[in-house]
Order: sequence, then C-alpha cells, then structure tokens
Amino acid sequence: MNGQVSARIVKKESIETWINDLRRDYEAYAPVAAGKVASFRRIERAAEIDWNYSSTTIPPSKIIYAPQQSLVRFVKSDKGYQVEEDAAVIADRALLAVHPCDLHGLLVLERTFLGQMKDAAYERVRSRVTVVGLNCQTVGEKCFCASFGTGPFFGFWMRQGPPFGCDAILTDLGERFLVETFGEKGEMLFVKVKSSPPSLDDIGEKFKREAAAKERFRKTLNTRDLPALMRRNLYHPTWRITGEGKCLSCTNCTMVCPTCFCYDTWDKALLDLSVIERARRWDSCQDERFAEVHGGNFRSTHEARLRQFVCHKLSYWVEQYGCFGCVGCGRCMTWCPTGIDLAEIAAEIRADEERK
Amino acid sequence: MNLQLPKEALLVATKNRTPDTRSFTLRLRDGQERLDFRPGQFNMLGLPGFGEAPITFSAPPQQDGTFEHTVRAVGRLTKGLMKLKPGDTIHVRGPFGTAWPLDQVKGKDILVVAGGVGMVPLRPFILEAFRRRSDYGKIVILFGARTPGELVFREEFDSWRSQAQTTLLLTVDEVPPGEEWKGHTGVVTGLFAETDIDPGTAAVLTCGPEIMMRFVARGLILRRFSPARIHVSLERRMRCGTGHCGHCQLGPKFICKDGPVFRYEELSGLPDTLL
Repeated sequence: MNGQVSARIVKKESIETWINDLRRDYEAYAPVAAGKVASFRRIERAAEIDWNYSSTTIPPSKIIYAPQQSLVRFVKSDKGYQVEEDAAVIADRALLAVHPCDLHGLLVLERTFLGQMKDAAYERVRSRVTVVGLNCQTVGEKCFCASFGTGPFFGFWMRQGPPFGCDAILTDLGERFLVETFGEKGEMLFVKVKSSPPSLDDIGEKFKREAAAKERFRKTLNTRDLPALMRRNLYHPTWRITGEGKCLSCTNCTMVCPTCFCYDTWDKALLDLSVIERARRWDSCQDERFAEVHGGNFRSTHEARLRQFVCHKLSYWVEQYGCFGCVGCGRCMTWCPTGIDLAEIAAEIRADEERK
Repeated sequence: MNLQLPKEALLVATKNRTPDTRSFTLRLRDGQERLDFRPGQFNMLGLPGFGEAPITFSAPPQQDGTFEHTVRAVGRLTKGLMKLKPGDTIHVRGPFGTAWPLDQVKGKDILVVAGGVGMVPLRPFILEAFRRRSDYGKIVILFGARTPGELVFREEFDSWRSQAQTTLLLTVDEVPPGEEWKGHTGVVTGLFAETDIDPGTAAVLTCGPEIMMRFVARGLILRRFSPARIHVSLERRMRCGTGHCGHCQLGPKFICKDGPVFRYEELSGLPDTLL
C-alpha cells in the first residue's frame, strides 16, 4: 500500500447511496443494532447500519478469521489420497464502520497471520477484503483504547502511518462525513461519490470531536513499563486468587478478543471416506485441554490459564510481535461472566509493586 | 506458498526399535525434490483422517534423499502410523523449528543427556557429529530409559562406543522380570559422577521428559556448566508448526519456530514448564 492520503467531505445521504451501490460488488458487513449490543452482520441496505454503535460482541477481525475454516482436502483416488488446496470461491467483502480499536485489532492479528510465516488460508480471505473505518465517538464504560493509542480516532500507531490496516476512514461530523482514503484502493472506492474538499473548519471539527471523545474515557490502563512489570509478577497472588476464585475457564474472553489467533485442527470425513477435509476452528488457552501433552497438562489450573491470557496480551506479545496483544476494546471484561478485568489485574499488580 | 499444504512421502522401509517404537524411512514422492533439514528440526507428519503431529527427524539427511522419523505409538496419529507398510504414503510438512547447534559447538567437548524417546531428536546430532568426528572434542552420551527394552537404538551402541574419544553410559529405572541388565540403575543424573568432561568449555545437549531436563540442567549448572551452553529440546502439541495455532506457546516463545531447541538460559523464569 502506498502512503497517498486524501480527504473529502461527503453528505450522509451520499454515503448511504455509496454503500447501497457498493453492495453490487461486495458482501458488505457492518454494525447492526441487535438488542442491547450491535453486531457485525451482512447488510443489504445502508439504512441497517448503526452508526452510533459502541462495541460489538464478536470483533470484525473475526469475520476475516472465521470460527471455522477449511485448510486442505484429501480426495481418494486409486493412488491413495491426493492433496488438494481449498479452492472455494471467496466473495469480495467490505467491512464497514469499523472502529479504530478493531482496525488495530486487525493489524495486531495480522502480525501473526501475515508475519514472517504467512497463513495462506487467512491471506486468501484477507486479499478480498476492503476495510472502511469509522472514528469512534461512542466511548463505552469498558473502553480504554486511548491507553494503548489504538483509538478513539485512527492515527499513527507503532510508528506506522494510517495507510495500514484500512482503506478509508470516516469521521461523522453531524450530517456529513469526513472521508480520508489511504492508497489507491481507498481512493478508487470514493472516486465516483459526490463530495467536496474539506474546509479548515471541517478538519478543525474532526479534532474537536476527537478531543471530546478522549474526554469520555473513564477506564485506563497504565502501559508504562507494562511488559516488564507483568514478567516480574508471574507469581503474584492475584493469579491464584482471581484465577481460582473467579475464572470459570468459559473461554469467552478469547472468543471475543480481536487479536486472539489460537486454533485447533480436526479431520472430518465423508461417510464413504472419499473426501477428508482438514479444517481449523478457534481454540482457547482458557480451555483446560489446550496445553495438554502426552502424560500431562502444562496449564492444568485456572491460575495458570488466566496468567497465560493476561500476560500474553500485556507482556509476551510485545516480545513476539513488537506490539501489545491488547487494543483496549474492553470485550474480554464485558463478556466475562464473573467480571474478570485484565486492566484491574494489571493495576493491582502495579499498585502492589509501588507499595513495596 | 501454502505452509499448511502437505507433501506426499513414500514409506520406503520401517524398522522396529522397541516394542512400541518404530523408525520410518521416507522419501518425497515429488520427482527429485529433497527435504533440506538439520538435526533437531521436525516435520508435521499426517494421515488423512488421523490429523497431524510434530515428529522430529531421527537421522541426519541421507545421500539418497531419504529421511527418517522414529515414532512411539502413544496417540491416535502415531498408532495410525504403525499400521502402514512400505509403499504407503505419509503426508509431511516441514522442516520446521530450530536445530542443534552443530556448528557453534565445533571444537568443544559434547555432553549428550537423553531420556527415553528423548534420544530420538539427539540421534541425528550424534550421527552427524560422528561423521565429522574430528570437528569435536570428547563426546559423552548419557542415556536413561525406564527399562532395558526401552533403550531405543541399542543395536547401534557398539558402533557408537567404537568412535574415537566417545563414551556411552546407560542407566534404567527398573529391570522387569525376564530382562537381563548388568549396567546402572537409577536416574540419568546419577551418571554425572562417572562423567569426565570439563564443565568450563563443554556444550550440553539434552532431551527427555521435562522433569528430567530440569534435573539435568540444574544439576549441571551446580557442576559449573554454563546455562548458555546447555541446549534443551522441548515438546508441546502443535497444530501448525508455523507459529499460528498458538498451542506450543511457552511464555513469549513459540516452541515450533523459536524452538524446539533452546538454550536453557532463554527459558529461565518462565511459568508453565517443569524446566
């Protein structure tokens, strides 16, 4: 992707027309109001989009990294099973109105799947996906993206410029949107849309709204020296107290996390064994069997599993990928049935160290 | 390149090593292609319907392009492999992972400590070191198994002992009725006392149950071996071999790509291991 950035003002009704037209070439996914919480769903019309959503249960990165995916097929012939690459047709998809925390979730996830060793199954889907972000003005009570610099507005992160992770980003300025496009792909998306150049006032309005959104955060996570802090406290009593006292190992935290990548594989066969498909499905470090080996289990306790989740996100990840594994979206704590909060655990550990 | 796509390998020959452990000699079916690997690395071996498992190479690369894996039948896939006959196909992906430091330990005395099938990943190193015998100083091999019958590769021990400056010491935990054993009994660390090797310069390579490697590494550090020159090979379940499935993570390490061979000091202080 090149670094070309351009900006324009598009009226809300023109954006809706654009989305309705986009539907001809793409399967479009966007936040749709559904009960108390919005969810990313395939939409048919722009009117379905909930522009004021705060968060969703399942993050949009997991529309790309689906719960199950075929990896390889074995087809029986007279010479035994022949290996076949999965060749199912993948439609072009557009992920619309993705908040910056989730855009970063995608960037983080892709340090795993599109890093030195590429995951071909992920890459195949990703190459057909267009991502349009929406700067977030609806900070929720569990949101703390500002602590990681991953929101509420999309900006520079990890010294990468904005042209990474999405093709365009929208900012709602009332009855009109500021549309910033990144690279040729982003530019081409809007080339036929009725627009006008942004005025200085429009740019000023964006910054005003960003400042206002930042004011709304009630939750923070102090990231200063955080990876080393966690590494120094791998045997802090909170792992046992919180893990054994509260954690149910239900795996919700990992299912809703935008950056969790772990999977299990299994072979499924047609009854006549003519075709065997090797597929993957999300797995979770919170599942009791996750770290089983022949003759034992390296994380047989809630304590060890909770420590793995929290320390992976806040410490190990930095060593593995040069970034945190947490983007501050707040989903793990929102969907934890017993309210385990990774930010509170980190704060508790920090407070204990400072007291010493 | 799709790293999840297996290649077909022809099963050329099998050889029983112990009652539940068998060696498989393989060759890629695709034309002239050879598998380029180093001692200590592993392949994902798979059978359609049985899944895959990470299995180490048990011999160095061969002139004729064949490669060897030695497998103990303990799980679904490994038991499935035991049903195969020469001419059958095994699917392979790899090689993956880090290798034993064959070049870095040149000129040094080498202490190899193996437990049970932990000898399997060490054997390609041992055979390769014998092939370039003058590159290394003394080679001392300590090998422990539960019973004499589980001392894998024992038909080769005479030839190992006949190498210059090479010592092989064996020990078993117990001798079942009917088996004959005149050697040591007890844990492998019990052989340290009989090991004549200079801790100041020697390199250590060890593989076995983690609890064994714990006592090997810590016991040797107490005997003034350097944790920077103790190399361990770890094992976890793996689904991918490419650092994506997450199963093999140990703290910040992916055992599939940062390991399986690590310097002991790299792993110090990590939880969820017995090391």
